[in-house]
Amino acid sequence: MGDILDVISTRKSIRRYKPEPIPDELLFKVLEAGRWAPTGENDQPWIFIVVTDPATRKRIGELGRIETGAFCTAEYGMGRLQERFAGVKDPTNRERVMRMMYSGETSQIATNAPVIIVVAGTVNALNTPYDLCAAIENMLLEAHALGLGGVWVEGPAGPTRRKKIFKELLGIPTGMGEYHIQAYIAFGWPLEKRKHPRPKKPLEDLVHWEKFGNKERN
Amino acid sequence: MNKTSYFNQCLARHEELLFQELAQASMWKPEYVGIDYIQSKEIQGNTVEEVVDNCIKEMKADGLVKDASYKQGPEGILLKLVVRGCMHMEKEVMLKKNGVKPYCCPITNMIFDRILELLGYEITFLGGNLEVDEETGECVIKCGIWESAEKVGETVSDWKNF
Repeated sequence: MGDILDVISTRKSIRRYKPEPIPDELLFKVLEAGRWAPTGENDQPWIFIVVTDPATRKRIGELGRIETGAFCTAEYGMGRLQERFAGVKDPTNRERVMRMMYSGETSQIATNAPVIIVVAGTVNALNTPYDLCAAIENMLLEAHALGLGGVWVEGPAGPTRRKKIFKELLGIPTGMGEYHIQAYIAFGWPLEKRKHPRPKKPLEDLVHWEKFGNKERN
Repeated sequence: MNKTSYFNQCLARHEELLFQELAQASMWKPEYVGIDYIQSKEIQGNTVEEVVDNCIKEMKADGLVKDASYKQGPEGILLKLVVRGCMHMEKEVMLKKNGVKPYCCPITNMIFDRILELLGYEITFLGGNLEVDEETGECVIKCGIWESAEKVGETVSDWKNF
């Protein structure tokens, strides 16, 4: 069995795509990866809604833009967005980046991705949200291994009211006791250069041995 | 123990659980908490001012809050609410004691619900900008209200010092 650490450690979120469609053969491989995700009690609560229709994608992109825009406008108002980007030295660039955030443009990804997969699932299962997240990660890794780019977008599936609109748009029953919508994943051929992923915390900062707080291995 | 205390303790425990499971993302979830009450009232209004005034009037009459005031930012996006003597203060204090920053304000949810449903606003946002002062019995809430999708991201301003 091959070690997949290279696939895992070279994946990064890709938000800009070439307009070319993804061949069905690759799309089905990505979906297949989702199907094999770990799932509590083997419940497999997931459903994957593949959306290619430009009008639907545009509407989903707009839902995400509004949500991120509202959140980041509040973050700017409270001074937290400025703190977050204080490290960007060039003031013009800093303002440009913050504007992308509070305008919500940064979350309009669905509009320009050739395909998105909306990940939802029945709530009549033991661990629905966690199972769905595992499926998302599987699909992102498979896409990366196939040379595709992808990104996990929570936006329109986050706030309760927005989630209802998102469900209505896709024809998912909106009752709180029926389906949970976790996120969508946007996919496409990467337009961005595949730079190395953003820096990660070193392992020694993350690992505790035997008990919380023990950083030294006995 | 009175019934209000019992009810607030139950609510606080639920909010703790949600926070434990979802961390900061919990602030996006409880938008519907409290709205059944306000939907049962005949709130009228054609402007934000009328709607907020009428919501506060009902809540005061039923003893949910002792008093509340508000002001809007110059662009009409920021809505600053000051709520005094809220029946949920005990819930917020309990959360703070347990290390959870309060994030769910049923009073704000009710006002949001009427702004969205009666005035057709596109989106409202609280985002945990809720300061609870148990000494004075006052909550200060800074939230955003956007009339249309186009207005989202159009402008930003200083909310901190408003």
